[in-house]
This record gives sequence, C-alpha cells and structure tokens, in this order.
Amino acid sequence: MHGLVALLGPAKVLGTHDDLLLYEYDGAVDTATPDAVVLPESTADVSALARFCHEHAVPIVPRGAGTGLSGGAIPVEGGVVVSFARMARILEIDVPNLRAVVQPGVINLHLSTAVAPHGLYFVPDPSSQKACTLGGNVAENSGGPHTLAYGVTTNHVTGIEIVLSDGTVVRLGGKAAEDEGYDLVGTFVGSEGTLGLVTEITVKLTPLPEDKRTLMAAFPTMDEASETVSAIIAAGIVPSAIEMMDQLAAQAVEAAVHAGYPLDAGGILLVEVDGPRDGLDEARARIEAICRQHAASEVRVATSALERERLWAGRKGAFAAMGRLSPDYYVQDGVIPRTRLPDILRLVKDAGARHRLRVANVFHAGDGNLHPLILFDSRLGPDELERAKAAGLEILTACVEAGGSITGEHGVGMEKNCYMPLQFQSSDLAAMRRVKDALDPPGLMNPGKIFPTPSRCREFAFASTTR
Amino acid sequence: MTATVTRTSPGDATECSQILAQATADRRTVRIQGSGTKSYLGDVGTTDIELGTERVAGVIDHVPADLTVTVGAGTRMADLKVALERAGQFLPLDPPHADEATVGGVIAANSNGFWRARYGGVRDLLIGTRTALADGTVARAGGRVVKNVAGYDLDKLLVGSLGTLGVIVEATLKVLPLPETSDGLVARFERPDEAFAVAHAIVRAAARVEACVIDRTDESFWRVAVQARGSGPTVMRAISDARREVAARHGDAAELADVLDRMRELPARATDGALVKVSLPVAASAAFAENAARLESFAALAVDAASGVARVHLTNEDDAVIRDAEALLLAARMVGGSGRIERRAERLRSRLLTWPNRPNGDFLMRRIKEAFDPAGILEPGRSAFA
Repeated sequence: MHGLVALLGPAKVLGTHDDLLLYEYDGAVDTATPDAVVLPESTADVSALARFCHEHAVPIVPRGAGTGLSGGAIPVEGGVVVSFARMARILEIDVPNLRAVVQPGVINLHLSTAVAPHGLYFVPDPSSQKACTLGGNVAENSGGPHTLAYGVTTNHVTGIEIVLSDGTVVRLGGKAAEDEGYDLVGTFVGSEGTLGLVTEITVKLTPLPEDKRTLMAAFPTMDEASETVSAIIAAGIVPSAIEMMDQLAAQAVEAAVHAGYPLDAGGILLVEVDGPRDGLDEARARIEAICRQHAASEVRVATSALERERLWAGRKGAFAAMGRLSPDYYVQDGVIPRTRLPDILRLVKDAGARHRLRVANVFHAGDGNLHPLILFDSRLGPDELERAKAAGLEILTACVEAGGSITGEHGVGMEKNCYMPLQFQSSDLAAMRRVKDALDPPGLMNPGKIFPTPSRCREFAFASTTR
Repeated sequence: MTATVTRTSPGDATECSQILAQATADRRTVRIQGSGTKSYLGDVGTTDIELGTERVAGVIDHVPADLTVTVGAGTRMADLKVALERAGQFLPLDPPHADEATVGGVIAANSNGFWRARYGGVRDLLIGTRTALADGTVARAGGRVVKNVAGYDLDKLLVGSLGTLGVIVEATLKVLPLPETSDGLVARFERPDEAFAVAHAIVRAAARVEACVIDRTDESFWRVAVQARGSGPTVMRAISDARREVAARHGDAAELADVLDRMRELPARATDGALVKVSLPVAASAAFAENAARLESFAALAVDAASGVARVHLTNEDDAVIRDAEALLLAARMVGGSGRIERRAERLRSRLLTWPNRPNGDFLMRRIKEAFDPAGILEPGRSAFA
C-alpha cells in the first residue's frame, strides 16, 4: 500500500476501508475486498503498477464499470483492483478508416453517441451499454441484442495495446483488417483480464443502417415463440435482433417501463430488421406472416422511432425491472443450438420448480443465448442463493448436453470456473492453460477466474459428457 | 541429402494425435497437407513426415436450422459447397484455390476472399475446432453454437497458424441461407483516384454489396468489380446505387461475367516473380495501389475495397522483384498496415523471406509456439514468428 502510494502518488491509490468496500462487488453475486484500488491515468501508470505487482507477487484485477455478471472484477485472491475510470477518453475518431481508438474506460454507449454525427456506430450493444466500458466489453467479449447479424465484440476489435504482468507494453494489430502472425488480438478479447491489461482499443465503426423495422409479437406459449424463431431463420431472413421474453418477465417490465407488452401472452418476441429501405417492408411482412402462422395473437409494428425506442426500453430495462418481482436474482447465460429452444426452455422451468424458485426469461433467442433470471430472496437465508445456484447448474448442464455452452456473453469469471469441466475435457483446459502460462507466467493477472481452482471447486467433479 | 519423407494420413483425431506424440518422441518434423494448394506459404524446408488430412474429410453434422456445419478438416471447400447447396445454404467464404482447397487449409492459412466485409472472414465464421496437439492430446475449442465465451478463444489462435500449433482435425463454421438473387458489374476508369473513390462510396452505401474489388493488370485502366447478392429489392438497390457512383465519375460499366473469379485467383496465377500481400487501413489503399502500379516490376494488383487487403504481383529480373517487394512491405508498415511475401518463384525463396520484418508481439507468439510444440516438430521454419 505504501509502496503503491510512493510509486503513483496518493491521488491514484485508494486504501481506506470505506473506499475498498465500493470495489468488492460487481453485477454478479460474489464479493471479495481488494487490498488496494489503483486508478491509473495512463499506460505508463499501468505499466509501473504491473512491474510493482510483479516484483511483490501481488495479483492484479482489472475493473471497468463493475457491471459484469460473472464476478470477473472480483479480487477473489486479494491484490490490487485496477479501475480504468480515469482512462476514459476517446482518442481518435477516424472516419475514412471506419475506426475509433479509445481508452478502456470509455462507456460503450458514449462511443456510439460520439460517432453518430458521422453516420456511424459501434455494433455490440450489451443491455448495460449506458454504464459498461469498452475495456470490460473486450475482456468479456460482450454481445448484446444486435449481435445476431453483426457479431460480438471480437468481430469489431482490430487492435489493442496491452500491459503484460511484468509491465511490458505491447501493441497488437491496428486499424487494418488483419495482422501477420498468430491472432493475439483475438486471443486477448474474451480472456477476462487473465492474460494482461488492455490499455487502448482500436474498434471498427459501422455505418448506421438506413432504416429499421421493429416488431413485437405475442404468442400463447413460449413453444410457439421458439418455433417462430427457427422458422424466421429457416426462411432465409437474418434479422439484426430476435429477442424473447416470457410472461413473468413481461409483467415485471410493464410495471417498471410501460413498454406496451401484452400481459396475457405466454411468450413475446421482439424482432428487428435493418438495412437499406428497399426490401425492409417485404422482410417485415414475411416475418409478420410467419408469426401469424405460429399462432401469434398480436403483431405490432413500431411506426415511429419513439415507438421503437419504447419497445427496446422494455427489453434493455428487463434485468433492472426484476426488482419488482424479487429482491435478488441470479442470471445464467447458457447457449444452445437455437433448434433446441422449446425443450430447453421447458427444462429451465422444471429446474426452477424443483428448487421452489420462480424463473423469468429474457434473452437473445436468435443466437440461442438464454438468460434465465432465477429469482430468490437472500433475506430468507443462505439457502435461497444455494438453491438458485443449484437450479442454474442444472440449466447449464442441459445447455452443454444440448451441444451448447455455459456462457454466451457474460464470461466464466469466478462464477462458473468450477463448471468449466462440464463443457471441456482436461486436455481442452490444458490447452487453454498453456496460453495462460505463456502470456502470464507468474499467474498474477486476475487469478481464480476461468480455470477451475482446487480450493473452490472441490465439490464439483463432473464427468464430461461432451465430445 | 537423402531424406526420406514418410507420408501418413490418419483417419481420425486419435490416430492423428498418436502420430504427433510419436513424432515428438522421435524428434521428427511434420508437415501438414490438405490438398497442397497453398504450400508456397512461408519458409519451410524439408520435413521427415508429411501428414495428409484427406482421410479426415466429410460433413460430420449439419443442422440447417441452426445455421452451422461441422466438417472434417480435410473436406474440400468445393464438396462442402455442394453439400450445403442441397440444404439451400452456403459457407460465406470465398478463398482463392476454391476448387481444391480444404477447410482445414483455409483455416490454417487464414485464406480469405472478397466477401469478408459483408460476412466476416475465417476468424469470424469459425466457431469450433478439434485439434491434435504435438504431445498426443486432442483439444477442443469453441463449440457448435454461434455465441460462446467459455474459456479462451483458441479458434482464433489456429486461424493463420499455418499448422505450427497443431493439426486441425475438425471445424464448425457458421453458414447462411443461399441468397435469392445476384447481380454485378465491372467498371473501367482512367485514374486510380476515381476507381478508389467509387469503390469506397459503394462499400459504404446503405445497400451492402458482397464484394467490391479494384484491380489493375498491365492494361492501361483501373477496374472496379462489384457483386451484390441477397433479396431482390436490396440487390437491385445496391447495383443501381453502384451504377450511379460509376456514372458520376465517368466510368463505363459492363457485365461482371467471371471478372471477380479471375481477380480472386491472382495467387494461383502468380507462379513467377513475387506476390506481395498487405493489409492496410482502407483509406491508405488508394495511394498504396497507385504507387505499386508505378513500380518497375509491377504486373497486376487486386485490392479488396472494403477490407483494405491488397495483393500485388511483381515480375522482373530477380533483383528488381526483391527490391520492389521489400519497398511494398515497407510502404504498408509506414501507413500502419502489415504484409508478407505470399508467394515467390522457387529460386527466390532463399533471397526473399516471407516475413522480412517480424510482427508486433512476436515474442509472445514464440512463447505460445513453445507451449504447444516444445520440440518444434510442427512445420519448422514455416513462420518467422513461431
């Protein structure tokens, strides 16, 4: 602590008990108190900090806005939390090259707002985009509703500057589409801060679509909504987004946001197509017809930007609206092949019932990326969270058995590292471990994440069912 | 030198990994071959074992409604195309050597065509792999779902790894429904600035085209080839917008015919001299191309307008080719791009290295190589960075 203050000055180091408490949680359910918090203002600060930590064998845990949903920013093994709140400048907007160069603390939505006057935007739009940072998006390889047609964070990052655990600064990639050698940029994106600290990011900017059509369709049951998703894809239409919500979620959203969702529907779809004006109405009409063929009781097309925003406000505000239903929720992020939606959604419901918990569903149906929100009340005792986690594990197991993944966009973090053997055999994990050891030999970068740790994962001995 | 090369073709991942484990134990070097279309890449010498992937071929799983396909790495792109077409789908990847190339080779060489800006490149379409490693283990990465952030993205490391990290045995890729309709045009311009201005306007237009490529051969004009595929109204809009851009700059437009295919196969034709491949910030590509066309050894070039990837073919006396090739790589670096000597005449191999300059972060690449192949048996010398 004193060493850090001597190195960086008192203004960049927090160490009082009250200060540290603010950094012991993120958007998930686990907590741990850091030994110190550092607020670097430059790559040089980050490099000096890494050298210091390397010398003293202190773990480093990067933190953006703390909106992560897998405990990625939690210092589970102690050490220094590095907050990028003061490295939050957009360094360059390069319109001719369709690139922006940003510091990691820039908030996702601020970038799209800043480039909008040029007719451009940054595609990945996590629901937390008003708060989450681009550094956090890079760490988690974040998605969002509009990644169905345009890809997730890794598809939109062409360059990064990183600080390795020994303080070395390396620039990888740049504004060009590709670089020579191994794709280290692609390796760092989604590595959850376990390989190094990202101090600068070069991202792709995309021309805003000329126009959009947004539909809300209500179905008697989730089965019909699920089948509609497959039917739209099978018809050769690739919408920019297909989001699904069940009745419980819709009711919570309506109470909080008044998005105009029907309260009596078993399942609701939000579908958006974008692109050139020509052909949009044809696509909308085809989607509408498919919805009707699958027993949609109502199909509403947004007729103005305001109406579209209202429909989306419901979706993006859904997690926050859960407070209306329950004091706590535990969200899972499993992925399945989209053709398996109907049976896995039934299984999700059963898992909740078995553990006497309600489950609301709001998710990226087009990608097969589930977000079951398992509702619990921690005031009723520690058993509540335990039951929520048990239900979550059953859901993830089913996702893996269906040929899917334990996480589509929230990351493994410390929340699911014990579940990794569900999806991967030991040889698969060993291959990942080689990358970790090659890039962070002392293992100081965000320890206790992604890989199962013997101390915390003792009770989980899975026989891998995959392969 | 009387080196005997052992040829082997494993039938599955386990067999493949056993061969590698034995090779590691014996310190025998391994060269991996799909159909050998891109064996000109890199700086490889002779190796003890040639491992062919032809027996790990075929579609393993294809669920059309999931828009994914899993294939053996030795599957030829042409065969996969036929299989997918039966289900009304296609793999939106148009690499050179499309008749012969295998899926595994396309991944290992990061071999992209002109559709990248519209559909993404190899790195964007690959969602899962099974790879036999040098120590005899088999590692799976990614999966069969389109969104997946569980663990490190080892698929990315394999794309462009040229076989230096392991033998890709199986791959899962995203596929798409076949477009309803297609249209295109090719326009000619006197001046490069006109051609590039038109091309850059076209790739940023509201109706996205599938490919937009600028080329110049030894003839005295610059061409812009445009193709749009998709639903009827969007294709019509894209091509009519493109025609308007062409007319505004006084280009003359003609039928596309097989022009794009000819442009794409430039690497296949560049058997003499040297073929330089660069990846540039797009705004720098016009000046780069204009300078390239002035070089003494200039023979042909093709630039993907949307991605800024350019290939320049040089033919001349050896000394001039070497000088001009190195000048092009330097020019690419000066504007924040990178590049390689993708192909050169056999006699130039020793004088013209694939990577005269090392990429950024090469020390990290070597650490990764060391971690996956400590004995250095896989494709020794293939890549300077490893």
